[in-house]
Amino acid sequence: MSNIFNFLANPSRFRIFAKSAYPYLLMIMIIFIIMGLWYGLFNSPPDYQQGETVRIMYVHVPAAWMALMVYSSMTIMSLFSLVWRHPLADTLSKSSAPIGAVFTLIALVTGSIWGKPTWGTWWVWDARLTSVFILFLIYMGHIALVRAFEDEFKGARAAAILTLFGAFNLPIIKFSVDWWNTLHQPASVIKLDGPSIHVDMMIPLILMAVGFLFFYFAFLLINVQTELNQRKLKKLFIKNLNLN
Amino acid sequence: MIKMRLFFKLVNRDIYLVIKGASDAGAAILFYLLAIIMFPLSSGTDSSLLTTIAGGAIWMAALFASLLSLDRLFRSDFEDGYLEQIVLSGVSMELIVLSKCFAHWLTNGLPIVLLSPILSLIIGLDFQYWWILALTLLLGTPSLTLIGATPAALSCAIGKGGVLTALVLLPLMLPVLILGSGAITAEISGLGGIGHIYALSAILPISLLISPFLASKSIRLGWE
Repeated sequence: MSNIFNFLANPSRFRIFAKSAYPYLLMIMIIFIIMGLWYGLFNSPPDYQQGETVRIMYVHVPAAWMALMVYSSMTIMSLFSLVWRHPLADTLSKSSAPIGAVFTLIALVTGSIWGKPTWGTWWVWDARLTSVFILFLIYMGHIALVRAFEDEFKGARAAAILTLFGAFNLPIIKFSVDWWNTLHQPASVIKLDGPSIHVDMMIPLILMAVGFLFFYFAFLLINVQTELNQRKLKKLFIKNLNLN
Repeated sequence: MIKMRLFFKLVNRDIYLVIKGASDAGAAILFYLLAIIMFPLSSGTDSSLLTTIAGGAIWMAALFASLLSLDRLFRSDFEDGYLEQIVLSGVSMELIVLSKCFAHWLTNGLPIVLLSPILSLIIGLDFQYWWILALTLLLGTPSLTLIGATPAALSCAIGKGGVLTALVLLPLMLPVLILGSGAITAEISGLGGIGHIYALSAILPISLLISPFLASKSIRLGWE
């Protein structure tokens, strides 16, 4: 395992890996999302209370999971970057932030659309919604902070410190529905005594979640490629300046 | 023991600077007063409305006052080389961060707490609730200072502060604001605000543990 880490630690090697892996990841993502959408829209039962609106769940829940998952992975990468100064961890963390922000935004917007017919309101300030909104703001702060520095390595390390600080929000989001009395329903899939959701709804949910996960991997790789290419361009530019 | 004496020397120096007017902590207190006066002027002087928003208004003003003064918590000392010199003389960075936070709280947080009972009269909060307002501010303002230390230290490395510091800082401070003003609202509505206060007092030791390390790491980032 550590051999793989060491092998990919070299940015140019990682670039080659990213370039070759990207189309496969994209393909897996498209297959899973198409299957998930077909299952979710046509092949799963409507809810006995909410009717057809329950189908928003197949986008909302995976997006919310991914919002947390991306931030958790950013936290681990920040730890790698601060402790071991891993050269790729900074780049991966920087490239993850916009994707995570978009997932959070999708979760917030679809949740709002879902809330109108079922709760009768677009937005309530309950613990779950507020903490996810704070997560979105932290993502935006991260994106702004990385780009404020002229030296990109410094910017990445500063963002790593911010990421570690903002990680306090993750357990709050996860357990907000248990700790406070919220309008948002408590967890029904990821909990200790097994999922309490029917298997016909579980299948499209899992398919979409896997699709979103590969969406993250694919777009992470393409973001990292762009980042590494930009860095290479800058080097070439400086080299040419010296020659002249 | 020497560490302790050193700590208080550092705190003394910062407070001395505030008294001399070299830091903008005094102006931040003035801003706190002004911001509180803004609330009745902007949302009407209807006393029943003011009673419901009073706790939140005072908390918001306290948050912005500490935000304003936190912006230059490390930066002016960082820019004129004071921090570098004192670290070179062998004082640990974490101790400096803690002393700066303590001095900031003494000059910014403590006046906010002391002024709050009087201000609660002006803004129309029922006077029987002054204790919960003062208690939440007493527990909350040190957390605000400690949470704000890391972004303030990051602004040293960037070289500029202002909007960016606020953008990074405010989401991290929101839990304190929510719990602080939530305690007052819950107490007024008869639910009892003690649950919020427990959670608020849990934030203080956690931020006391984490923020000196992250803040000193951020300041060192500026020297790389």
